[in-house]
Order: sequence, then structure tokens, then C-alpha cells
Amino acid sequence: MKNKILIVALTIGSLLSWNCTDLQEERLDESEFGGQAEIISGAIAPAYGYVSWVWRHTNYYGLQLIAADEAMLPFRGGTDWFDGGKFLASHGHTFTPTNDLIGDGWNELTTNISRTLAAIEVLTPLSEAGDAEATSALHEMRALRAYLNMLMLDSWGLVLRKESSDQLSEVLRTQDAIDYIESELLAVVGDINTSKGPGRITQAAVWGFLARLYLNAAVYRDPYGTPNFTPEDMNLVIQYTDNIINSGGFALSPEYFDLFNDDNNSNAELIFALDQRGVLNREHSRWAYWSIAGSMFPRPEHPSADGTDGPAITTDFYQTWVDAYGAVDPAEADARFYQMNNVIPDAQILDFEGRVQEVATETDDSYFCVDPLEFEMDRGILRGVQWGPRKGDDGAFLTCAGGVRIYPVQQTKGNGPDRDVGYVNHILQIDFSNQGSLHNTGYRVSKYQFSRTSPNGNNFSSVDLVLMRLAEIYLMRAEAKLRNGDAGGALTDVNTVRTSRTARPAQTPEALPSVDLEILFRERGFELYWEGFRRGDQIRFGKYEDPWTDKTDSDPNHRLFPIPQSAVDAASGIDGFLDQNQGY
Amino acid sequence: MKKINLLMTIFLLGIASISWAQTTVTGKVTDEQNVPLPGATVLEKGTTNGTTTDFSGDFTINVADNATLEISYLGYTTQEIAVQGRTSLSVQLAEDATQLEDVVVVGYGTQKKSDVTGAIASLKSESFNQGVVTNPGQLLQGKLAGVNVTSVSGEPGASQNIIIRGVGSLRSGTTPLFVVDGFVIDNSSIGVASNPLNFINPQDIASIDVLKDASSAAIYGARAANGVIVITTKRGQAGKTEMNLSVSTAFSTVANPMDVFGAAEFRDQVVSVGGLLFDGGGNTDWQDELTQTGISNNVNFSMSGGATDKFSYFVSAGLDDQEGTFDNSTLKRYSGRVNLTQKALKGRFNVDFNLTASRTLNERPDAGATVVDILQLNPTIPLYTNGDPTFLDERLNPLTRNRIYTDEAVSNRILANILPSVEIVKGLTYRLNLGVDYVSTNRDQQQIPYSLLEGLENGFLNTISTINSNTLIENTLTYNYNQGDHNVTVLAGHSYQETMFEQKVLELDGFANNGIEPRYQDQISTEVLPTTLNSIAFKNEQQSFFGRVNYGYKDKYLLTATMRADGSSKFGENNKYGYFPSVALGWNISREDFMPENSVFNNLKLRASWGQTGNQDGIDPKVSLASFLDSKVDNDTYPLDPGANTLDDYPFGTIAARTAFPDLKWEVSTQANVGVDFGMFGNRITGTLDYFNKVVTDVVLFANRIDPIQPTEKFWTNIPDMEIKNAGVEFALDYRGTFSEDFTYNIGGNISYTDNKVVDSQFEVITTGAAQGAGQTGATINGYINNEPIGAFYMKEFLGIGADGLNQFRDVVPDGESLDNDRIVVGSALPDIIYAFYLKFNYKDFDLGFNFNGVSGNKIYNHTAMSLFTRGQLSRSLNTTGFAAEFPNEELSNSNEVSTRYLEDGSYLRLNNATLGYNLDPQIAGLGDWVSNIRFTVTGQNLFVITDYSGFDPEVNTGSETDGIQTFGIDRFTYPSPRTLLLGLNVSF
Repeated sequence: MKNKILIVALTIGSLLSWNCTDLQEERLDESEFGGQAEIISGAIAPAYGYVSWVWRHTNYYGLQLIAADEAMLPFRGGTDWFDGGKFLASHGHTFTPTNDLIGDGWNELTTNISRTLAAIEVLTPLSEAGDAEATSALHEMRALRAYLNMLMLDSWGLVLRKESSDQLSEVLRTQDAIDYIESELLAVVGDINTSKGPGRITQAAVWGFLARLYLNAAVYRDPYGTPNFTPEDMNLVIQYTDNIINSGGFALSPEYFDLFNDDNNSNAELIFALDQRGVLNREHSRWAYWSIAGSMFPRPEHPSADGTDGPAITTDFYQTWVDAYGAVDPAEADARFYQMNNVIPDAQILDFEGRVQEVATETDDSYFCVDPLEFEMDRGILRGVQWGPRKGDDGAFLTCAGGVRIYPVQQTKGNGPDRDVGYVNHILQIDFSNQGSLHNTGYRVSKYQFSRTSPNGNNFSSVDLVLMRLAEIYLMRAEAKLRNGDAGGALTDVNTVRTSRTARPAQTPEALPSVDLEILFRERGFELYWEGFRRGDQIRFGKYEDPWTDKTDSDPNHRLFPIPQSAVDAASGIDGFLDQNQGY
Repeated sequence: MKKINLLMTIFLLGIASISWAQTTVTGKVTDEQNVPLPGATVLEKGTTNGTTTDFSGDFTINVADNATLEISYLGYTTQEIAVQGRTSLSVQLAEDATQLEDVVVVGYGTQKKSDVTGAIASLKSESFNQGVVTNPGQLLQGKLAGVNVTSVSGEPGASQNIIIRGVGSLRSGTTPLFVVDGFVIDNSSIGVASNPLNFINPQDIASIDVLKDASSAAIYGARAANGVIVITTKRGQAGKTEMNLSVSTAFSTVANPMDVFGAAEFRDQVVSVGGLLFDGGGNTDWQDELTQTGISNNVNFSMSGGATDKFSYFVSAGLDDQEGTFDNSTLKRYSGRVNLTQKALKGRFNVDFNLTASRTLNERPDAGATVVDILQLNPTIPLYTNGDPTFLDERLNPLTRNRIYTDEAVSNRILANILPSVEIVKGLTYRLNLGVDYVSTNRDQQQIPYSLLEGLENGFLNTISTINSNTLIENTLTYNYNQGDHNVTVLAGHSYQETMFEQKVLELDGFANNGIEPRYQDQISTEVLPTTLNSIAFKNEQQSFFGRVNYGYKDKYLLTATMRADGSSKFGENNKYGYFPSVALGWNISREDFMPENSVFNNLKLRASWGQTGNQDGIDPKVSLASFLDSKVDNDTYPLDPGANTLDDYPFGTIAARTAFPDLKWEVSTQANVGVDFGMFGNRITGTLDYFNKVVTDVVLFANRIDPIQPTEKFWTNIPDMEIKNAGVEFALDYRGTFSEDFTYNIGGNISYTDNKVVDSQFEVITTGAAQGAGQTGATINGYINNEPIGAFYMKEFLGIGADGLNQFRDVVPDGESLDNDRIVVGSALPDIIYAFYLKFNYKDFDLGFNFNGVSGNKIYNHTAMSLFTRGQLSRSLNTTGFAAEFPNEELSNSNEVSTRYLEDGSYLRLNNATLGYNLDPQIAGLGDWVSNIRFTVTGQNLFVITDYSGFDPEVNTGSETDGIQTFGIDRFTYPSPRTLLLGLNVSF
């Protein structure tokens, strides 16, 4: 009996010890560290790479664009671009803390700051050990982090200072935030590289960031009041813009739209631009395709590249061009407004104007033939009926001898009366009414080229996303001079920019006879439209509370966006860490 | 045809049978109230010759003239009757107070029902839902109070949401823990899109016990928070040697087609809403043309038997071949089972062995696209043009899709365990449980190249192979002490379980259109269409120590206490182990001396319990470990080298893929339960009433980072303070009555009320249920906020169409704007009340049963209507229901924004199944010597549903979750539910 118990006990004991475990989890389909990256490039590439994602149309770019008076995105035809109402609320300044556009802008920006911090933590010990390449990269990362924090300050009125990943961020507002960004930029401006070109942060870019910081310092210091632009700030703007202009490293582009073409990386006007080479899926072309008609196929060599019927310019913004040029069509008066690339032969214009403008009345004279690789959309602000290739029932483009047929673009989107029977006809009127929201409404912006390296218009773009260029530097200097009382100096800078677009002399804007703040604001709109500056300009020039199409809100609290509810909720466990902005 | 041949053979054999010098005895077995006892064992004493009574309590047996019959029935005193030449007997069995009515399977053992202190609902095979049934969930739908079983769609073998006592987690998974013959099934994916439990042959199942309260479930510790479903398969019974053959054929049709316009009305409607009518000149009912009468066949054979104290066996083989109401929609299961028990050492050494092997073939259509097509396609377009499926501009004719698209999963699964036990000394038993559950699934999704439509010209093949192996080793010691008034059972155990998951997803694009299906073609990766392989592998280990004490005093006062310590490799160093205690008390009032002898109560028991269980479902593997990856995709890289013009020249970026979360711990569910069990009037009325209160804390969420400057946007955490509360009442009642000796009946039902809410959430709202389609990016349908239930619908309230022809929503925050802050909770997807009732009649050899079930207090979001039935779509010559034309002044471009416009009442009452059975007396058929029972059945499933819901069926859940937060009650392009008629034949011999 005892033996039996012993045997059983032993058996149990051995079974227990056989399968006792420390429960350590194994990694089977991943390793803790990738092991393929080089240390320095592995640290900085993700930080730089993320910036274009921050500036994606549905992230920070859309947030800046739609909240300003230069663009609006209605609920297209009741079917497209509603997306929870985020674009409608952003345009009307009725945003709530749960608005996804604000949430996405915030999330991507903070993730990018985190990537710069991760890089700084890797690079700092290498730099301290004397690694020159690491030191150079470290300067770029500190400058990039300061730039991203400046975007935070501009949109949310705060920066998140964090020097080590195991600390909690410090939330800084107003002067403290300005001081922090200033000190970071000043810490690197003397030693940072001067030669890595527009795709990296160079000394000129840091000068430009400093100029922007001082230009907006009055707003950042007192975001809800009337900004007090001090001579000291303005002198610093002049000092740093002088540095760039006098460096001789940059030149204004004779053809304005060359700034936004596939090969713009080599354009001498660019100071900081996100380097895209058509290699990555996420090298995006959203700034090009967002506004274009969904029925438009701008690349006959790529049948899936089309537009999206996204935002259009507001009637208010169009009116600023009309006010400036009076009876002269802005397309004739200003090379920045329009560039005709798709020249419609006389026979087709004659046919088009001589018939009822519907698909049903088309004849053999209603189209012309082009080589697919030669076709190029018009650029600038698109008005009226657009021309482009057309697909047959099988989804392939209709061809002709030697190329594809170019027709007036048939409207295939939406539920408007033009669908399938009429043409895409961009009309001026766009608003949130039923009629004003149809797929064709509003003049469209084709500032960026549909990249030839992108098979679908979204991805694999080679057009660098321009974040800072010389014309802005001139206009910042002009503004600083003007605010300091030097109207003559300001006029010279403004006219330098205006008269530099000489590639199409007939449309080179004429020099202005005089400049004041109103004209300078308008001029910045003409030069920098749809590049992410308009909201900041409107705030700085005291126009953000003005009414415009389908925007009546005049609450100064809305100059800053609400902190996303998700971020406030997540941080709510730590008292006072992340308080919602006032007025939300 | 084969089946008919087989039947003919049986009949012929019957006619040709020879009589031996024996007596045929017929009889009826009843209880003391003359209620027939079906399934009672009738055995010729001293032989293995035996039979069981049929549904009416009748039996027929051939015995020697001088034989003695032993008649036994669980819970009744066995009677011996000498035949003495009689040919007709009437046997009344007396209830046996000591040998109790029922045995309930609890964790790691069984208990007499009267000893149970927890809330356990049990279902025996004779009470299972009848009809075409693929998995255990369907067997018990509507059968048990507090157990809410909802099919997500009408597809054969579709998944279900089984919710026991309310939803207790934010994240995916209300799935209870399934324990099959002592083996704990792991709920991780097995690579099929349909229900993972389809592998079990429902006809092999003897009983299902649902452990609802914490005291009964806590022995399963950290995985028991969603409740435990214990499945016990059939075993052989000593002295009852039989074979059983059942065959059935079922016919399924779409139960409730939607009311889209017919061609003539469509022509009028398109014009009347101001649309441009495309008239194809035909008259096609796409719903009718593209659905079919699905024919399902089932053949099942089993044999079982055994000798007392020596061995018993149960062996079965089954073929289930189901066809859905859509083309290419089938589920085929081949299954076999061997359950053996053998004893040695004078009964002190006992080995149980269970083995089931099955092969499941599941072919699935592109159901979502097909649903859209059958509802939306223009009814004036003919199905065929010149003998070919009509070519539709820019979309596939669904007939063509069915031809070129295939999704087929083949799953092979073996579940086996061996349980040797030895009684070391009297009362002390050691038991080992060694088991393995091995699943291998191969799923091919392919599309044959189709040159006529852009995007389909290349064809593709996705091959997903999944291996999920799960091994279990358990050691338990049980000590039983029974002396005088004291009855003590002590259990101590150790368990180790390892789940290994491996999956390879191969995506291949670009196939030749050469008449060979892509899955059988050779293919070579190209630069334009590269082949990708995605591998996922993880191993999850769980180690547990557990113990239980049961104490009974005079069988009146009962105590159960359990404790389980569970450790999991999923959790970090700081919280590897969780501890889950429980305690329960029971009081058998009916056994008290103060209860009068002739009390109306045969049974009256009070139960109270408290305990904790845990939940780790839905937590990703490896979350306790940090991970960095080197990446060249997305935004992880940047051209640092001026000359970099290919990906080779781009640097790898080092990315924090996951932050380590070593503090993450189990979700804890703390549940209190008070219940009463009763039996009255000679157990003609039996019932159970329970109140429970369940509070989940340490709610696990994949939450937003606390500090915005964190490398990963989300991290796993336990939300402080937040609680998910479920409180409810469950009531079940059963009555057995007689009209006459030949005519008996049984009625009963259950009803459960559950109140679910979230409290102390730090989140203003947790949204989920992403709306799908153009213009719906970021829009959500469900939103969970404080003091409202999980499953709440959170959206704007639709007031109507304004004078401008556009939506009018209630301006909740009165700012004159329609913003997302105007969203409110407008109802819940989870019913307050679920109920079911049944009626059964037995008249001589006929029986008739009805099972109804229903829910009330819930809403359904009709995403299908939101996506398809808009005025704009109708104007574009796409079909809709009358919903699209409801508001005459609605603008064509009015939006289909998420709102209560698409929210409907989800209450329903369904005749889930009705069965008419006839037991043919083998004597009458002349098969008495050969066959002990012949039964014919006709079963109707889903015969009617009373509901206001306008979709195919109010039982739905096809929402898209956001960030892994559960979503409920969204109906988007759901595969329609079938109505099924099944003819069955069951022969025992």
C-alpha cells in the first residue's frame, strides 16, 4: 500500500515539475530590435519621414486649409467628404473637441515630436562622444522638434517640452513656449549644416523658423487678444530674413508653378521641402489630387489616377483676386493664378460653343487627340468646364490615332442633374446649401502637379511638399518692415516677389504702387494660397473672426483649436497636466 | 438513393425475420403521477438484452418466458418485475430521495443537482433545439435564462455572440470559455471566418451546462469572466447496447426577403423622385434569382454500450452537408468520435478516453457584395443577355462573381484527451488529464482573372494557412469524506496549458486566364505584382493552481469555496498571476424538519454566492514586451542620400513598434448571486429564480497615450476607477401535466432581465461601430458613456426632412449648428429582456413541440438602409425599398449621415423551431426483433418572426469595430436568415 502511494506521489511530483513554467513569453515572429538599421540614419529617417504624414490632407494640412477663408469642403452631393462633419465644423469654426480632423492633426504632430525625441536620445551620447555625423544629425533633430512644436503652438497654443522619454512632458504656453522654441533654435543655428539642401533642415531653414517665430510672437504671447507687434520682434524678423536673402543661396522661380512640379527639388527658391522621389507608397500627392474633380483623369498613362471633388476656394477668396485686378481676368493679370497647359484646339472650342453642352450632342469634333505622355492639366485655379481623357465601358481610355481622346470631362460623380449627361463645370458658387454642395461647385486648386511617378495620384509622388520658400521670406521681411513703419522697404520686397514670375511675361504681375497691411495680407494670399499659411495670416492680421461663406463664428477663443477630447481623456488621470483650451 | 436502398433493406430484413421461442413484452413506464418516463432502461436481468422507453414511456422487448425485467431510471428506484408470461406491463417507478434527480457537470467534476450552490443552467440532449444545427450555440439558443445567443448572420455555420449575464468588457470577445469533456478550448482564431465550434458534431453532445455565477465559474479563474459552457459528449451505458442511425434532409429558403421595388413600380419610382430611369426592359427579381433553396443532408451513426464496472464505449460517425441560400455557400463536416471508459483494479483504476476528429469544409460566397447586388440592382435589367450574364457597367453581374470568386476553408481538427484516475486510498483519487486540440486550416480566397472590368483583370489568390495547437496537462487530487451528517469533498489541482498559433498569409496577384483556377496554377512574383508573405506566430502559456472545498451537513446546509491562481505568459513581470476566489452557500429548505411531509414543495433550495473571475481575452500577445522594428515602408524612412532613387538606397528607420506594458493585469469580474430552486406538486412545477450583480473592474483598454509625446499612439492599460456593471434577474419555470394517460404535455420558459451600464469612465465617450462607405470616414454608430450601457447607440436624433429638403437633427447643444456634440445615446443594441417559452405535447406515439424565443428593449442600426436605400441612389436607377421615397420633398443629394433615421426597434418574437414526431412501433412494422425504435420527425426552423425590423432578420451583428472596442446591433449587408424545413428519420437497434 505504502509503495503504491509512493509511486503515485512520485509520478505526480515528476509531472508537476515537468510542466512547471516561469511563463516567460517568447518572441516568435519578431525580434526586440530590427538589427538592419544604421544607428544615425535609423534615428533621423523616421523623424523626417513622418513630417509628410503630419502634412497629409486629412491631418494638419486640411486643418489649416479648411479652417481658413481660402477653402471650403461641403458635403459633396450628400455622398462624399462628410466624414462625421469634421470639414463642415472646421470651416465654420464650430469645431468640437471630438472633431477628427483636429484629433488626427494633433496625433500625427505629437507622434512626430516623439520620433524627434527618440532620435535625440540616440544621437546625444554619440555626439557627446565626439561623433561629428551624430552631432550634425542632432542639430537637425533639435531644429525639427522646435519646428514641430511651433506648429503645436500655432494651432493649440502650447508646446510639449520633453527631454527624456521616461519623463512626463511639460506643457508650456505663451512666452514660456516662445522662449523654449527660441532657445532650441538658437542652440543649433550657429552650427547646423548649410549644405544639405531643401530636403533637410539647414541653417537657412532655422533662420526662417526664427523669423516666423518672431513674426508671430505677438500672437503666440497673447493668443486671444489684439497682438502687439513689438519693434524688437520685427527687427529680429528682418535680421533673420536678411540672413537668408543675403546668403545668395536662393532665387525666386521665374515660373511660379515650377515650384510644385516633379522636379521641384532643384528649384532654387525652396528652403525647406519634404523630399519625395516617387519611391514610397506614402510619398503622397494629396495636395495635388484632393481638390480636383472626381471625374477627371489627369494622367492618361495611369487610368486609376483621378481627383476626389474635395475642397474648392471660397467665393470670398476669389473675390480678393477680383478686387485686386478689377476688370482684368486674374488669369491674365497674375501668373500665380493660372497656367494653361491643356490647350484646346480651335475646332473643339468651336464645336463646344456651338452645341448644347451635353454628352448627348457630341460629334467627332468634340474631342482632340494627344499623346498620353504629353497631356498635362492646367494649373492654378480651375474654372468652368474641364477637358481630359474619358473612359469607355471597359474602363480603358478612349483612344484615337496617336493617343487618347481629350473631351470635355463628363460628370460621373454625385447625384446632381449633370451626372452622366453633362460636363464637369466648376462654378464659382460653393456653399453648404444643397445646390452649393454639388460635385461641380467651386473653383478648384491645381497648384501641385499630378506627379508622373504616381500611378494613382495618391502615392509615389516625386513632388516635394514645399514648407518654406524664398518668397515667403521676402513677404515676412516686408511685413516686419511695414509694422515697423518702413512702407517703402516693404513695397520693394513685395514687388520683388511679384515681378519675379517672368516665365510668362504677359501674366507677370505688375509692381504695386503702394502697400499697406490690407494689401500685404492679400498679397500673401496670392503668393502662398493653399500652402498652409492662411489661417495664421488671418489671425495675425485680425481677420479670423470676420464672417465668410458659411462661417459666422466670431469667438476669439476659436483662434486656437480644442485639444482633442481623446488626449484630454487619456491625460485626465494627472490633475492639471493637459487642460482644455479656453472656450471649449 | 443510397438512403432509400438502406431503408428498403431494413424493411425486407424485418419481414424476413424469424421468431425464437420467446415472449414479446410491451409496456409503459411512468412515474407516480402517471407521467411517462422516456429513456428509462428496461433490461432482461442477467443478460445484456435491453431497451429504452420511447417518448411516451413505451417499450417493447423480446424476453424469455421466465425472465425478470429490471427497470431503471435516473432519480428513481429500480424495480424488478418477473414477466411470468405476461405480454403487457405497466410499471410505476417511485422517486428515490437518495438517488437524486440529476447530475450536473461542474468544473473538474460532477455534483448532484441538490448539492449545487452556484447558478448553473443545464440542458440535456433531448431538450436541444432541433433542426439544421451546426454548433453548440445553436443548440441552446433561447433555452437557458441569462444566456443570450445571437447569430451574426444567416450563413451556414455563422458565428454567434454568446453573452452570459451581460457584456463585461469593452474589448472584443463576449465568448464564454468552452470546456469539452474536461478540455478547455482556447478561443484564439483557428483561421476560419465562421464559428470555430463547428467542428463538434451536435449529435454527439449529451449535455451542456452553463456556469453562470462566479462561484461555479471561478474554478476556471482568469478565463471565466464571460461564463463557462461545459459540453459533455455521450458515453456508453452499461447494459444498454444500441446502434443508432439518423438521417435527415432539410430545405432552406430566405425567410424574409426585403421589400425592394419590382420592375414596374421601380420605373414609376425612379421617375417620381426625379431620377433618370435606365430601363433594361426586363423584369428581374434579383433576390429571387440569386438565392436558392438550400438542401442540407445529415447522416449520423452511433453505437454504444458497455458492461457494468468493466468498460463502456460510444462511437459515432457523422456527415453534415449544409447548403446556404446563396450560391457557393456550403458547410460540410465529416466527424468521428470515440469515447471509451475502462476500469481495472476492482474499479479503483479508471481511464476515460475521448477522441473526436473532424474535417470541415466551408465555402463562402462574397456575401456582402451579393447582398448589395440583390437589393440594389436595377430590376429592369435582365439576368441574362444572349445567354450570358448581362454585362453591367463598372460592376460585376453577381452570376459572374459567383463564377470567378471562391473562398474555401478546409479545417481539420482533432480534440483528444485521456483521463486516467486512481483511487489511492479510500476517498482519495488522483486524476490526470492529458489533452491536445490540434487544428489545421487552409483557406483559399481567389478570383479568376476577368478582363472586362478594371481591377479584376489580374486575378488573385490569398492562401491563409493556420495551425493552432493547444495542449493541456492537469493533475487533480480529490478527497471525499462521507461520514454521518458530514459530506466533504476537497479538490486540489494544477493545470498547464499551452497554445501555439502559427499563421501564414500568402498574397499572390497576377494569374493567367487559362481555365485553371488560381489556386491550382503556378505563379511567379513580379515587380509590378509582388507576392507577399505575412507570418504571425505566438505561444501563450498558462499555469494555474486551484482548489475547492465542498461541505454538506445533513444534505441541508451546503458550502462551496474555491480558489484559483492563474498565471499567463501574456502578462508582464509585475502581474503574472491573478487570484480568483469564490464562496457559496446553499440551504435545502425542503429537507428541513419544519417542512410538512405533504408540503407542496418537493424541493426548495436557497443559494447565495460571491466570487471573482478574470478575463484576458482579446489582449494581444507580447504586449508586456517592448519591440522596435526596422522599417522602410510608410513614413518610417526618408531619402537622406542625395542619390537615393530606389528603395535600396533609402535607409531603414528604427521605429518603436510597441511600448512594454509590464503592469497590465487581468480584468476582474466580481459577481454576487442569490437564487432559489424549487419543485412543487410532485415536481410537476420546477423552476429557478436568480438575481445577480456583476461588476467588472481593471477594465483593459488599448488606450490613447497619457503623455502625447509617446512613441506609440496607444498602449495597453487597465482603466482606473472605471466599472462595467451588469445586474439582472433570471427566471425559469417548467410544468408537466397530463390530459389523460395517453396525452401529456409540458410547458415552460425562461425570462431574463439585464441592466448594463458603464460607470466612472474617464472618457467623455468611447466610440466604436465605424460607419462604412463614401463620406462616412470617422463616423461611428456605437458610443459608450457613463451611466449608459455597452452597446449604446450614440448619434444625432433625426427629426425629419426640413423645408430645404435636407435632414433636420435635434440641436442638443443649442448653438444652431448640427455638430458632433449633438450626439446622444438613443438606445442600446443589447436587449433588456430576453425570453423563451416552449410547448410540448405527447399523444400516444405522436409528439409535437414548439420553441419560441424573443428579445425586447433593443434597437438595430440598419446600416444596409443607410448605405443603399437613399433617394439619391433610387434616382440613379439603383433599386431601394420604399424607405428611399418616404419624404417627397427630400433633395436627391441629401446626406445619409448616421442618425436615428436608420435606427429601428429590434424586438422580436420568433418561432425558433417546431417539431412533429412520430414513433413507429417496430412491432407494428414487423421489425420488432431488429429495431427498438423508429422515429420520424418534421422540424420547421425560423417559421415566423414577429418584428417591426425592416431588414432580413433582427438577429444581426455585422458592425465594424474601432480600436478593438466591441460593437453590437449593426446590420450591414447581412447574409439573410433561412427558414428551414427538415425531415428526419431515426432508427435505433
